[in-house]
Amino acid sequence: MARLELDQVSKQYGDFHAVRGVTLDVADGEFLVLLGPSGCGKTTTLRMIAGFIEPTGGAIRLGGQDVTQLPPWKRNAGLVFQSYALFPHLTVNQNVAFGLEMRKVPSAEIAPRTAEALRLVQLEHLGDRLPRQLSGGQQQRVALARALVFHPDVLLLDEPLSNLDAKLRQEVRLEIRELQRKLGLTTVMVTHDQEEALTMADRLVVMSEGEVRQVGTQRDLYERPSDRFVAGFVGRSSFLEGHVEAPGLFRTAGGLALGCDGQGGGQGGGQGSLALRPERISISPAPLTELDTTLEGTVEFVSYLGALIDIHVRISPEERVVAQIANRAGGFMPDIGNRVHVGWSSADARVFPGRAPTS
Amino acid sequence: MTQAFAATGAAPARKPAGIFLSAGSLIGPATIIVAIGLVFPVLILFRYSLNRFEPRVMMVEAFSLENYAKFFSDSYYIDIFLTTLRVSLICTIICLILGFPLAYVLARTQTRFKNLLIMLVVLPLFVGNAVRAAGWMTLFGSKGFLNSTLMGLGVIETPMQIMFTEQAVIIGIIAVNLPFMVLTLQSVIEGIERNVEEAAFSLGAPPATMFWRILWPLALPGIIAGTILTFILGMNAYATPVLLGGPQFKMMGPLVFGQFQLNNWPFGAAVSYILMVSTLVLTASANILMQRRYRR
Repeated sequence: MARLELDQVSKQYGDFHAVRGVTLDVADGEFLVLLGPSGCGKTTTLRMIAGFIEPTGGAIRLGGQDVTQLPPWKRNAGLVFQSYALFPHLTVNQNVAFGLEMRKVPSAEIAPRTAEALRLVQLEHLGDRLPRQLSGGQQQRVALARALVFHPDVLLLDEPLSNLDAKLRQEVRLEIRELQRKLGLTTVMVTHDQEEALTMADRLVVMSEGEVRQVGTQRDLYERPSDRFVAGFVGRSSFLEGHVEAPGLFRTAGGLALGCDGQGGGQGGGQGSLALRPERISISPAPLTELDTTLEGTVEFVSYLGALIDIHVRISPEERVVAQIANRAGGFMPDIGNRVHVGWSSADARVFPGRAPTS
Repeated sequence: MTQAFAATGAAPARKPAGIFLSAGSLIGPATIIVAIGLVFPVLILFRYSLNRFEPRVMMVEAFSLENYAKFFSDSYYIDIFLTTLRVSLICTIICLILGFPLAYVLARTQTRFKNLLIMLVVLPLFVGNAVRAAGWMTLFGSKGFLNSTLMGLGVIETPMQIMFTEQAVIIGIIAVNLPFMVLTLQSVIEGIERNVEEAAFSLGAPPATMFWRILWPLALPGIIAGTILTFILGMNAYATPVLLGGPQFKMMGPLVFGQFQLNNWPFGAAVSYILMVSTLVLTASANILMQRRYRR
């Protein structure tokens, strides 16, 4: 295991910047997740770490050694593909042993090490099967064992769970995380699934349009998103467009005067967005008193999610917010058309400068 | 009324006849063409090959293997057979060596001109063998374009012998067979996931190792199909050896036709059987060997 550093790594295809100046420092044994929508450059970044794409700028260091120019077969990186990419003509044992054979491990050691790797993923009894005789989840584990068996410096996971069904995905998440912790593997995973990212990562990297938007723990990203994109991508937010009229006072395009976090950006009358987390918005049939901002609105839509209920409330002709309440016995349960009161404390209303993206 | 009732009672689960009729009518024509065009002639030819040739009466009914004995006891014919075998093998191997990289690029390319590239590979097949060979004669003949240009420039003094050599025939057959090899390989390589190659790289396999351990065995069905196709086409080549090989150069295809031209049907039939059976035996045994070698 080793430390992985990316220093201003870029990839340009003609005029198109797939990845711009990505700088990351992954500590020994850390689980880092690259999170972002498709086309944000996260997979390109992972493939540059693996050596399949040569960066057009910057350097990649693995365990202190500059590997930027090394071909993939000379980097000691274990890679798990979304499609698993098992060798269809080789048995499970032969698949797992492949990396050891390539490293000229003495043949007497190969069998026990292969068996050990398969034991880690609880597949030691299926060594003689061919990949096509295994279920998707089993194939995924073989791919993991194959990437782990030669003790890679870094484990790279490219959307490893996307091809599994929802229930299995939850189990495998925990299994991978436990295994990673047990073996102290430096790991970089790419995903577009924020729930997956939040459950598995030590630290997350949110990417968009080839750039790193924010690096931090789950709490950092959720509580202190660096910009509008992160606020919208990690967790959910209701955005209200407008401008900061005075410190702590936000004027929406619809004319509402709302309390906001005075520390946020967007001062000086420039355009900005007010971001509100659904669970930080209080909602009640009776007027709310002890909050900084309170409004009256009409329930427009209710999504019943089971444990949670989303309530969409129109607060002005152009604007609405989503409040989320827990589904408690005998709790407040508004209906479409009801008049309700919503409110929040100013500390929970962050302002991000700039115009809303035109999407 | 009773009759209709009895009929339905007798065959209650009977399906509409139309389905069987249409399925039958779809495979029928092909079956008839194969039967008339291939099976009967092959059977008749075998019968002929056991007959005897008399110069004046041409064919005499007989049951003897003397035509086969004649072939295998005469070094002239054995040489023709060995030449055919050698040319076909060399062509097949070169087609495989040249065709694999081409097929790989075609299979893996991301460009939107892919269909155009495939068309370019197929394009040589649009020109008939004979037309192409005739074109080559004007290009590579002793007074052809290439030789006269080189002599005119003073590069060479006497014309190079390009035409009417075994090499010319080999090059000619390769040019004809290469598209078959490329298309067969391309379709199989396309079915191999690109990620599998990358997985091998990431596990520490350099390109050559990846090729022999992963790509080659996975492409084997295509390699077998492509080599069989080009080998059979090579063994049975007719126009190319005749036009590019000249009168001195002999291969089995022209030999068969020559015997029929001389009205020696029994010997011609025997030669075609030797060609057919040897081709089948060789391809089948090569196939079995390859599959045994790579079975896992």
